[in-house]
Amino acid sequence: MATVDPAAKRKRIARLSSIREIVFGVQDGILTTAGVLCGLSGAVSQRNQVILAALASTAAGALSMGAGAYLGTRAESEVLHTEIKRTREEIVEEPYVVQESLLEALAKEGVSREAAYRIVKLLSSAPKALTATAEEKVYGIAVGMSGDAIADGLFMGIAFLIGALVPLLPFIFIASLHEGLIAAVATTAIALFAVGYFTGWMAERNAIRAGANFFSVAVGAAVAGYVIGLGIAKLGGLSSVAMP
Amino acid sequence: MLKPGDTAPPFDLACAIDSKIGRLRLGQIKSGLIVLFFYPRDFSFICPTEVIGFHKARVDFETENAAIVGVSVDDAQSHLKWAVELGGVSYPLMADIGGKIAAAYGVLDERECVALRATFIIDAKRQIAYSVASRANVGRSVSETLRVVRALRSGRMCPSDWQPGQSFGPDQQKY
Repeated sequence: MATVDPAAKRKRIARLSSIREIVFGVQDGILTTAGVLCGLSGAVSQRNQVILAALASTAAGALSMGAGAYLGTRAESEVLHTEIKRTREEIVEEPYVVQESLLEALAKEGVSREAAYRIVKLLSSAPKALTATAEEKVYGIAVGMSGDAIADGLFMGIAFLIGALVPLLPFIFIASLHEGLIAAVATTAIALFAVGYFTGWMAERNAIRAGANFFSVAVGAAVAGYVIGLGIAKLGGLSSVAMP
Repeated sequence: MLKPGDTAPPFDLACAIDSKIGRLRLGQIKSGLIVLFFYPRDFSFICPTEVIGFHKARVDFETENAAIVGVSVDDAQSHLKWAVELGGVSYPLMADIGGKIAAAYGVLDERECVALRATFIIDAKRQIAYSVASRANVGRSVSETLRVVRALRSGRMCPSDWQPGQSFGPDQQKY
């Protein structure tokens, strides 16, 4: 009979938790770079300047997003551990309150009050089990909840970089600015649809609808970026045609 | 919450007593004093210390002609099981389903639909002689309740922290 290996499942769930950083990084990389390309193409006529600015934006974005994810996860982890420490002190100082809270939590989940009382009483004979259960059931916190800060930072940074390359590569390889821009927008839309489709599929919901959501966000960001770029050029007295 | 001097609202509720389910009315209690204590729920972790505490002190309360009655919003069947779980309870546990009596005494926590942790001592005229309530996480003192019962029974001016055997107020007059 096939059995589920809890350790393997735990590892799989931990790996899956990185999906947040990957999806966020890819999405942000695609959108930011596409926005930069569209915005600068509206304001600047020289292709090389646009590419250099987009490359600089990509490098800065990848580093910034990676560092942000690292610092964010580390801060979350530190706060979580402090909270867990405080909760454990409360459990030692006020066991009745924790027992009562756990009993109420179980009762709210449909366990009869009498059964919940017996479960908590049984758990109370093993303080570690009581602590772990109370942390999860009562306070909604668990030691394994905090992610790996270094892994999160790396995933986010690399994902941003990969996402940024999606609109950037066609723009670099197609000589015409306008055609390159159209190709960048097209690959952006396709890639965002693909990311949306993938997340929808992972979440077991309507993948096409999820892909369409991403697509509309992409088109909205690109159009908005282009319009803002044109507006800035006009405000600064610049003309995309007159620029050398 | 009712205060000393208020008339005790009558009750007529199902209760668990002596491993059986019965009914209890305020009018059928003959003791001079009644210690009526409300507690939030059966099968909890603070309440048993009080329920057991009153059970252990029952002889002392009987000596003072004081009946003990416990009340919660649980049904009588739950009270029976709870009493067995605690190793037996020698006084009635009344089933105030819906909390009508708790509301009448002004100690119903409407948000949680349970009684507050409140104690009333009802005198021979069936008026409130003493009332006290605390937050759900703070258990009440059985010995303090007994001290108040003895002080009330003395009928004298009792100074702070008075204990049986100690002198009464300066005028030595009946209250």
